[in-house]
Amino acid sequence: MDHLSSLENKSIYIIREAYYRFKNIAMLWSIGKDSTTMLWLCRKAFFGEIPFPLIHIDTGFKFPKMYEFRDEYAKKWGLNLIVGRNEEAIKAGIRCDNVQKLLCCTELKTNALRQIIATYGLEGIILGIRRDEHGIRAKERVFSPRDDNFKWNYEDQPAELWDQYKTTASEDNHFRVHPLLHWTELDIWKYIKREKIPITDLYFSKNGKRYRSIGCITCCSPIDSSARNVDEIIHELETTHTSERAGRAQDKEDAYTMQKLRSLGYM
Amino acid sequence: MMIRCSGKSGPKAVVLGLDGVPFTLLREYARQGILPNLANILGHGFRLEQMDASTPEVSSTSWTSFMTGVNPGEHGIYGFMELQQGTYKMHFPNFADVQAPTIWNILGKNPSGKGSSLERRYRDAIKGTYRSVVLNVPQTYPAEPMHGVLTAGFVAPDLRKATYPEEAYQYLKSIGYVSDVDASKAISDTDVFLGDLSDALEKRRIAFEHFLEGNSWDLFIGTVTETDRLHHFFFDAAYDPGHPRHGAFLSLYKGLDDLIGCIYRKFMDRTDGDGLFMTLSDHGFSCIRREIYMNPWLKREGYLKTDPGRQYFEQVDHGTKAFALDPGRIYLNIEGKYPRGAVKPGDRKNVLNEITSGLMALEDGEGNKVMKEIRENEVLYSGPLKEKGPDLVCTPHDGYDLKGTLAKQEVMGKAHFTGMHTAHDAHCVLPGGLETAGRLHIEGLARHILDHFAST
Repeated sequence: MDHLSSLENKSIYIIREAYYRFKNIAMLWSIGKDSTTMLWLCRKAFFGEIPFPLIHIDTGFKFPKMYEFRDEYAKKWGLNLIVGRNEEAIKAGIRCDNVQKLLCCTELKTNALRQIIATYGLEGIILGIRRDEHGIRAKERVFSPRDDNFKWNYEDQPAELWDQYKTTASEDNHFRVHPLLHWTELDIWKYIKREKIPITDLYFSKNGKRYRSIGCITCCSPIDSSARNVDEIIHELETTHTSERAGRAQDKEDAYTMQKLRSLGYM
Repeated sequence: MMIRCSGKSGPKAVVLGLDGVPFTLLREYARQGILPNLANILGHGFRLEQMDASTPEVSSTSWTSFMTGVNPGEHGIYGFMELQQGTYKMHFPNFADVQAPTIWNILGKNPSGKGSSLERRYRDAIKGTYRSVVLNVPQTYPAEPMHGVLTAGFVAPDLRKATYPEEAYQYLKSIGYVSDVDASKAISDTDVFLGDLSDALEKRRIAFEHFLEGNSWDLFIGTVTETDRLHHFFFDAAYDPGHPRHGAFLSLYKGLDDLIGCIYRKFMDRTDGDGLFMTLSDHGFSCIRREIYMNPWLKREGYLKTDPGRQYFEQVDHGTKAFALDPGRIYLNIEGKYPRGAVKPGDRKNVLNEITSGLMALEDGEGNKVMKEIRENEVLYSGPLKEKGPDLVCTPHDGYDLKGTLAKQEVMGKAHFTGMHTAHDAHCVLPGGLETAGRLHIEGLARHILDHFAST
């Protein structure tokens, strides 16, 4: 079996396994390339009709093209879409340019998801994270328990042997399921190419810049790139060595630094 | 090449960094019997001297000057924040931005591959390969592989990334070590903040002792930053027995004195007194009379135009001649250097002179001058990175805390901070017999440390 088919098989196995083990599960769809690929895999796993809801956490600061893409494909693919917004925080005016970035992420993303989990009594969430994205994500497991404070104790998690994924947890917790953990950024693009998966064109170069990773307008910076289509992105990735989330990880460290400096009277 | 084993034999040096601990305060507290361990050390062949900090006198610049033994024109760190080249975008330089090798890299056969005037001077003189333990020195995040152990000090967003090697991180985590306390609690939750400070100091002591005892080292550097945090908020309590926090202030100093005594004894045990022991601070402290907001002054005098529709220093608009970054760094908005540059390179000198005379005349409203001196880049810095530096650096009289914020409208004010950095009152405790030339400067200490390893 070729590499992409073997990745696909493993992911579909995990998705089906997760649906079988949990009564109440949902998938997080960020409209980015990874979770859109995962959505594609979910559709394949259940022959076109996904039997659980898709959650889009909307901070209100996503690119307009992301909303267009979301609405177009939610309709086209008949998705049960739940949009999660922390309305209280949005009303309170929380946004990146007037509060610290970390607080903004916590309120508009983490707490919005927390509210959805509580409202729908979700036991499991399927997420499209990959091991190669960020150092800390390398320690993630396919089935990863979170406690009721959303904390993930990566040094205290059960061993996963072959395909025996651990799926029991106490009532207060929820499980995070990561069917794409074993994929790389390059695998994703090659699979997008093979399957002709639709993707928002924010990833394609305009005026020498493109987004390698998308999220809120306020926190994403485009990279220098001339890759105008999927083939050119694949070529670019095969010849580049900078980290996909470098910009974003640095943003978080900068936000922390700024908060620290402010507390001591700088800035 | 001779490889030395890091055992009991061979030269050893222990350096304690005491962030923001002023010479004047130490001298007074030692005299009053508040610091018995320090007094004991001073009674046994060590001397306490006043020392000059780096310019500007902020921790990131000063500690980098200490650890590289060169000026910012060579190491490239002019503050906690600067602008990315050719833009008004903020950049927070970290260890990767330090362009000169540290003393531990020079002693460890320089895995950084960086060069400096100091490195060239000692490259051949240092015969052995020496192992270092470096704990909590600011501006060393993220940790880089080195010959020894390092955990970075302020600013260190992630303890794991701050620490090399991984085992050292596991140990630090196991004792609940924190790289910094949460200073935002200082006013809203003062008791918690003071408790956190003494806990952090205690963890610092435990970690220092652990690495001193259990690890082989030739050079040990441990820095305490709790003092700086205490001073920013409660320096007014230092000499005032009637201040509600005077007791807490002394109590942290008591903890500091215990730490100094404990590390000194460990040093004596390991070296039989035959090594180099030193303490130093990166700047002094004094009480704040007024905060001085440099950008509103530049605006008032017509040098700075801002567009409030943009963020942070992107606000610098067309027609701007100069803007300021913390604490008193002034940058001219030169054509070709910045996107909305408005000063022709040929006019630079005139504008500098105008701003300098304007600021030197600035008074606090009670007839006192604010500025002690204002120096130009050319006078202060030398080396390949001097162009990166500010065009002017202002040094105020004690009591006038210079700020580079863009958020203020008024030129002077007062916030909840009571202590400010001073450039002239850093301290150094060093062996009485160590020959030094003239007044001490923080950049010069690295040479004394390297000499200790070069001479044996």
